[in-house]
Amino acid sequence: MLRQPLTRALALSSPSRVAPLAARRFADQVQAQPDKVEVFIDDKPVYVPPGTTVLQAAAEVGVEIPRFCYHERLAVAGNCRMCLVEVEKSPKPVAACAMPVMKGMRVKTNSDLTRKAREGVMEFLLVNHPLDCPICDQGGECDLQDQSMAFGSDRSRFTDIHFSGKRAVEDKDVGPLIKTIMTRCIHCTRCIRFASEVAGIDDLGTTGRGTDMQVGTYVEKMFLSELSGNVIDLCPVGALTSKPYSFAARPWETRRIDSVDVLDPLGSNIVVATRTNEVLRILPRTNEEINEEWLSDKSRFACDGLKRQRLVTPMVKDSRGNLTPVEWEDAIVAAARALRDCPSDKLLAVAGDLADAESLVALKDFVNRLGSENTCTEQFFPAEGSGTDLRSSYLLNTKIANVEGADFVLLIGTNVRFEAPLLNARIRKAFIHKETDVALIGPKVDLTYDYTHVGDSASLVKDLATGTSSNEILKRLESAKRPVVILGADQLKTEEGAALLAYTQELALRLQDNLQDKEWKVLNVLQRTASQVAALDIGYRPGVGAALAAGPRVVYLLGADSGIVTREALPKDAVVIYQGHHGDAGASIADIVLPGAAYTEKRATYVNAEGRAQQTLVAVTPPGLAREDWKIIRALSEVAGAGLPYDTLDEVRERLNQVSPALVAYGDVQPNNYFAQARALAKSLQKPVSGKLDVQLKQLEDYFMTDAISRASPTMAKCVQAVLKQKTAPY
Amino acid sequence: MLSSLRSGVQFLWRVPSRALQTTSTLQHDSLFVHRDTLEDNSSIPFEFSPANQKRVDALLAIYPEGHKRGAMIPLLDLAQRQNGGWLPISAMHKVAEVLNLPRMRVYEVATFYTMFIRRPIGKYHVQVCTTTPCWLRGSDVVLNAIKEATGCEVGGNSPCGKFSISEVECLGACVNAPMIQVNDDYYEDLTVEDTKEIIDKLKKDEKPMPGPRSGRFASEPLGGLTSLTEEPTGPGFGLQDALKS
Amino acid sequence: MAGRETMKTTCRVVKPLMSTDFCEARRRAIGLYRAFYRYIPYIHKYFDIPKSESQIRSKIREQFYKNACVTDIRIIDILVMKGYMELQEIKYSWQQKGHVMANWKPTIEPRPTDFISKFLNGKD
Repeated sequence: MLRQPLTRALALSSPSRVAPLAARRFADQVQAQPDKVEVFIDDKPVYVPPGTTVLQAAAEVGVEIPRFCYHERLAVAGNCRMCLVEVEKSPKPVAACAMPVMKGMRVKTNSDLTRKAREGVMEFLLVNHPLDCPICDQGGECDLQDQSMAFGSDRSRFTDIHFSGKRAVEDKDVGPLIKTIMTRCIHCTRCIRFASEVAGIDDLGTTGRGTDMQVGTYVEKMFLSELSGNVIDLCPVGALTSKPYSFAARPWETRRIDSVDVLDPLGSNIVVATRTNEVLRILPRTNEEINEEWLSDKSRFACDGLKRQRLVTPMVKDSRGNLTPVEWEDAIVAAARALRDCPSDKLLAVAGDLADAESLVALKDFVNRLGSENTCTEQFFPAEGSGTDLRSSYLLNTKIANVEGADFVLLIGTNVRFEAPLLNARIRKAFIHKETDVALIGPKVDLTYDYTHVGDSASLVKDLATGTSSNEILKRLESAKRPVVILGADQLKTEEGAALLAYTQELALRLQDNLQDKEWKVLNVLQRTASQVAALDIGYRPGVGAALAAGPRVVYLLGADSGIVTREALPKDAVVIYQGHHGDAGASIADIVLPGAAYTEKRATYVNAEGRAQQTLVAVTPPGLAREDWKIIRALSEVAGAGLPYDTLDEVRERLNQVSPALVAYGDVQPNNYFAQARALAKSLQKPVSGKLDVQLKQLEDYFMTDAISRASPTMAKCVQAVLKQKTAPY
Repeated sequence: MLSSLRSGVQFLWRVPSRALQTTSTLQHDSLFVHRDTLEDNSSIPFEFSPANQKRVDALLAIYPEGHKRGAMIPLLDLAQRQNGGWLPISAMHKVAEVLNLPRMRVYEVATFYTMFIRRPIGKYHVQVCTTTPCWLRGSDVVLNAIKEATGCEVGGNSPCGKFSISEVECLGACVNAPMIQVNDDYYEDLTVEDTKEIIDKLKKDEKPMPGPRSGRFASEPLGGLTSLTEEPTGPGFGLQDALKS
Repeated sequence: MAGRETMKTTCRVVKPLMSTDFCEARRRAIGLYRAFYRYIPYIHKYFDIPKSESQIRSKIREQFYKNACVTDIRIIDILVMKGYMELQEIKYSWQQKGHVMANWKPTIEPRPTDFISKFLNGKD
């Protein structure tokens, strides 16, 4: 089956647009580097591979050609005509974005003809573009504004709009995230191409023709996808803008702080835009290794949850059992007394989804100083076999960027679309542009691309691992040159989790051993939360089951909001200390509440699912009396008489470095080894499995509210509502 | 398409130099977004009839695997014919389903081509050409005659529901201007009387004689041939003697 | 050339303000100290401040010792003059109780230095 129209396939397979950086290493190994051709951009010679477009060749020598419809990560459309350039011996200007270079081509990007062509195109675009920049949310970051300043004429010759009026298009309702003012649309079709190529939701299109053409959904339908927010960034004008951010600020008023997203395990790079100590919006930051330049909707729009349901003051339960605000001294003393009076075997610390590495290491050191080893994470991971001792058994070893170089992807018990939307976008990219095939063991879900559904029984994994399966997937896997196996960490919660992991390791490593490419890693485990990898690196025990059953007297919850620790599971007299930033499941069962900082309010380390340490930066100050998390634990340790030996962030990071240098190697990811040892240790765990695989996030409505921040976000609530409403709609 | 209407409006509405800018009038006689109506909504089922289903299969067989979407326009046309000359939204959905394409891709095509009509339409769709040659030869009076005879406005349906009128651009029969097209038939070299007669016959569900009304067979000159009047010469005409064998 | 310039600037003879040598400057400073010292009972009497005479005395001594390191006689002279001005302000009640008490800085709290007090104050 052809996955895209032929013209698109040709345009897309030009070498330079296929795979950036890391992935290209694997992608281009087979084909020999074709000879380069020499072209001249403004008389500067440049050597580029044949098939490169004029626009890309110009970018090589640093000449920026203006464009609206062209986007390097989308198919070439060539319909805005803004990139017209003069080519010597060509009778008319050519569209640089769609014109492949030819040998000896002489391109003039600044000649009179080129300038005149640009000016003409600008004039045409502005005929029907409303002059509403003062009330337009794109103002200040608008490509049309910038380019009309740089390349446009200072006046228009079109006076007939005084007689016939400007073109007007009715606005569309495409959901709670994107505001549409379709009159501003210049028909670049970037949003349409994004929707069909990257997001895989073919809901947008152009209807009509000529001056009445419009971009929209034709029927009344919302554009709901886990990646929909990216069309806001893609839109070169103010036709698609962010609804939650509408009329909030101008780009030059905001302070932009580079940070890292923590709402999914990938750790997408973000820019936090703030003004007057308030997070206004979150934008993606380009990182080819992780998120390219996309961002999932939860990461982008859940930031209004940072202002709601916040814990702003320490609280202690009074004699009536109500949480009452108190001073820090009182809260810390109360917490320290509870911790000091607790027998060390009855103490339990639980780390939640959004905990950073600094607070994790501080809490572990503190609990250890109190004589306890009970530090757990909420998410489970089997401790049998190599357990969490070998890093390779709980990471995405292939690396996110390399997934697009894979030729066969086997997903086991994961709905990667909602657990890690940008990883799914990578797989979709590979599926479309590289003929990668995908198979899924687990419940049937919509991954936005076609895949072979093998079944949802765990025994299928066993059969594949032992090589006894008669399924043709096994043959496909074995013949694949760069296979990838991704196991969802959710599957490891069950009784059979350890066996399932053992079989997956067996399968992946058996495949890996037979590969020609010795660098290629097959085994991947996709964690569900941003904190899990760091917690396991630091030495937290995954899962609270056993520790809870032992009946702890004091439970210290570090942002543990998944609802895994409940009051019912604890002894009656147990004291629950909750440290975190949102009043969610954890705070509601707490006796003592210590307000911490959210990820935009602290400089903190997070390790993503591939084991890459990244740090967030302080964008705003914590609200009220809230403090940075590691400092709370440090202060508490001193009062409890087990003072931790670090006073500054640098000292904490030095401690992190002692635990594992990978935790402070920012932006870097270490290659993982010891696969064979992990496989050997897992051999004994290969017990028969019979269960069915199930995933937590099946539908789009499950995706939006998964953690304390997104549960507090009104925008995310509206998204869930919109998805449910869409389900009852006829289209 | 409402060119005559617009020129009239412009004549009446003299724009002062400080005129406020207004939105432009809709240039098309149809909307490019879908609105659910009683006659046209997604809950009305649409299936190809058994005879048409055979045609669907034959059409699909023309296109190679992976390029089945090439059959979209023939299929839409088939659906439109089956549905009495217009294309409901559920027919588009059906075509999308047959071709295994996103619905939006079908909407795009169906809205682009003006010959796909996305609103309920009369049994006889009268398309009046008003482009320059026809207009010079009196298409305006023909159009008015049709409006009068059917009681129907351009872009609308007649009260009896039998007729719809569209003003269209050149239909490629300029030699026989003025002309109209009713469903698949051309009626050419029209006068007001001819037009009235055609409409009257259609009202009685009789089929008027298609083609030119001026007595011409096709597009030959009305007053007889002015050139090429003699018998065609045989082979070897004008050849120099030396070459004749 | 450059050397001579340096010589000139370093050995430049400055015009004295009042004192011509260090001994004289020292004498003036001691004179000021005496003047203050003699006025201590009146400060205590007129200003009704919650300090004893000995506390005032030690504060004056502290303020003088604060400048003990000054060796430039021109600066010493200036400081002495400012001291006399201060004394005069006190004598003529140009300074009120609050001005006098400001020498003890009663409202300024020391910045926290250890971790726990920094944490509780929310200061870094």
